[in-house]
Amino acid sequence: MSATTILSARKIITMNPNRPEVSHVAIRDGRILGAGSLAELEGWGDYAIDDRFADKVLMPGFVEGHSHLMEGSIWKYAYCGYMPRIGPDGTRYDGLENIEAVVDWLQRCEARLTDPDEPLVGWGFDPIYFAGRRMVKADLDRVSTTRPIVIIHSNFHLVSVNSLLLERSNITAATNVDGVAKDADGEPNGELQEMAAKFMALDTIGLNYAAETAQAQGLRNFANIAVRTGTTTATDLVNTLTDDILAALLAVTGADDYPVRLVPAFHGDSLPPAEGAARAVALKRKTTDKLKLGIVKLVTDGSIQGFTGRLRWPGYYNGAANGVWNVGPDRLEAVVAAYHDAGCQVFIHTNGDEAIEVAIDAVEAVTRRNPWGDHRHTLQHCQMADAAQFRRMASLGMCANLFANHLYYWGDQHYGVTMGPERADRMDGCATAMASGVPFAIHSDAPVTPLGPLFTAWCAVNRTTVSGRVLGEAERIPVADALRAITLGAAYTLRLDHEIGSIEVGKQADFAVLDDDPLGVAPEVLKDVPVWGTIVGGHAFQA
Amino acid sequence: MTPLTVIGGFLGAGKTTLLNNLLRARTGVRLAVLVNDFGDLAIDGDLIAAHDGDTITLANGCVCCSMGDDLLRGLMTVMARPEPPEQILIEASGVADPKPISDVGELHPKLTRDLVIVLADAETLAERHADRRLNDTVERQLRAADLVLLNKCDVASDAAKDAARALIARLAPAAKLVETSQAALDPAVLTLPALPHQPAPPHHHDQQFSTVTLRRDAPYARADLEAKLADLPDAVLRAKGPVRLDDGRTWLAQRAGRRLDLSAWPGAPSRTRLVIIGTADMPDVNWFARTFDAEVD
Repeated sequence: MSATTILSARKIITMNPNRPEVSHVAIRDGRILGAGSLAELEGWGDYAIDDRFADKVLMPGFVEGHSHLMEGSIWKYAYCGYMPRIGPDGTRYDGLENIEAVVDWLQRCEARLTDPDEPLVGWGFDPIYFAGRRMVKADLDRVSTTRPIVIIHSNFHLVSVNSLLLERSNITAATNVDGVAKDADGEPNGELQEMAAKFMALDTIGLNYAAETAQAQGLRNFANIAVRTGTTTATDLVNTLTDDILAALLAVTGADDYPVRLVPAFHGDSLPPAEGAARAVALKRKTTDKLKLGIVKLVTDGSIQGFTGRLRWPGYYNGAANGVWNVGPDRLEAVVAAYHDAGCQVFIHTNGDEAIEVAIDAVEAVTRRNPWGDHRHTLQHCQMADAAQFRRMASLGMCANLFANHLYYWGDQHYGVTMGPERADRMDGCATAMASGVPFAIHSDAPVTPLGPLFTAWCAVNRTTVSGRVLGEAERIPVADALRAITLGAAYTLRLDHEIGSIEVGKQADFAVLDDDPLGVAPEVLKDVPVWGTIVGGHAFQA
Repeated sequence: MTPLTVIGGFLGAGKTTLLNNLLRARTGVRLAVLVNDFGDLAIDGDLIAAHDGDTITLANGCVCCSMGDDLLRGLMTVMARPEPPEQILIEASGVADPKPISDVGELHPKLTRDLVIVLADAETLAERHADRRLNDTVERQLRAADLVLLNKCDVASDAAKDAARALIARLAPAAKLVETSQAALDPAVLTLPALPHQPAPPHHHDQQFSTVTLRRDAPYARADLEAKLADLPDAVLRAKGPVRLDDGRTWLAQRAGRRLDLSAWPGAPSRTRLVIIGTADMPDVNWFARTFDAEVD
């Protein structure tokens, strides 16, 4: 018989309503043999006691339902964000609170490069906090005029470049294309806002950061961040999952010391729907203990703060034109149908309430033709859903994964610029989701905001913006519900609630190991509960 | 410089039919056609030389690539082929704004921006435009067009066609409007053969298009010719061919929509032989003969 280990802890929060808090958990073969008192667990026979966590609080390993592996790979470039952030090796990067600070940091990064031709690449930059001041080429020319520089904005849609890269990309005053920002003299100022110009600049230096996510170092970085935040299962939304990428993911996650279960979603619009459905079905059969395959992701609209989200009347608060469709109302139903009919669960990216409406309509249509009681098709982000939309989602068996981190990071912009006060109050409405009976998770969309489920839970509990404003007090949820959303709630949206998400007999021995009790601290400091590390399949990983 | 042509328009408007027609026409131009899904392309089996994953190579050197949604990456792959295409046609997705795609033609040092052709389904255009979820997308597409093909005119009711015409006139007053059925468009509108190895397009004057060829031995003063080409009436969709200039050299002149480009002529020195294609309201041959002081047929 396999060995049994019994962990003792100061407290174990189980998410099992029959025994919500226990003192011991028994592990055998990487799975939970039981959770209860020592006396109860002793009935399973011989065991070894492990007291290393006797002063810790254990929770089910956190589940990040919407992140990207780029959260690991992007760290090979210089972090240039306004918010402080902790790198994969634990290094704390201070927030850069003005352009001068960004330039100063880039100068230091530049000085460390040894190859004089190597491009300098930064990421995470967000001028939305700089009261109208943008990053222009003159700023970056102070860093270097002899090596190309590109700074990727936090939304990954815009870039700022130096004069040399403009010149090498053939972008001049005469360039007449959308998205090349010009200064008062009609010269390109270095900010490239649309696909074509941005793509050309990146192509000039051979940069394709989106293709680097499955590289070993990036996956290792991702794992380090996961361990540090108590995360034991995380998604990669979205991935083309070609044979090469699949092989790389299988190899890395196959190692016993890889501490995360990865759930990549297949990019459902990367192949024609019929081929895509066949691919998704084939991928599902390759699922392993640590690599969960079969989910499909589709993208309808863009982002709210980028004004590319699709809104119903009356549109953007500042009068900006409505956003853009990727898979739009002309095609969404047919694409969803192809996957639904093949038995594949579909994640649909929706931000604006018009995109949400179109996605709900599509799910309604496909389920009317081909009922599937447990499809769990999930709206990802689902930020602007109103109460009526949540009610429809509940009726249709849909789930929501709400972008709680947005409330903090861009809540002030939503209140003042994009949505206006009333609609900003309802954004990412966890309380309405709960009241409507929509199963829900909450997420970071890392690297758009940092991976950190406790922080995400804090956002859903407090709904506080950077400036301290509370958006929609009635949408605040209790800590216990937020903790459920980052464990069992997220697991449900991933169709993994039978394996992970709670500490119960039969489930994987995946735990977040905390130095304090998230149910015992004030809700305002939930995000500050220290994380010791994780346990995955019974193996402990210290941050 | 390789022209980059963008074919836009909603799902079902006839983009694939248009491309099928073009590939069947065997224009002699080495084309690269980038599509979202070549499941719908009906390429005759005997034309296919190789089918390798995302790429179908035709015996005549043309290629078709299925690019999923990573369109620009697909474009770069095509450009890097050992035998680069002489023209690239990109099929935009049904709800895409073709303008940003066409912008790549302006930015890329080896590409030139060619026409943006938007197909509109005469049966459903007005209906789509009345749908609040699609209305601005319809408008963006039409505004981006150099040429709007109002397609399915054989099956659309008169009322639907009238509504579509009115909408296009209001939203895209600068675009040329051509009415088609089964996306039957003179291939010369999409790609005008003019290089030394390419067969001249057959001349014809139908209800929709006319073609003229200017021939002249004497060189043009460069500024003079550039002005004449720039001043061509809006009815001209394309002009292409070798021109002799007063520097003693032969140049390749290409005009697509309102954009003019002069580049090195890849063949032996030649007399001027400029092919011009436009809509039926283009001036007659005598006007061209007079304006360009050339022989015309």
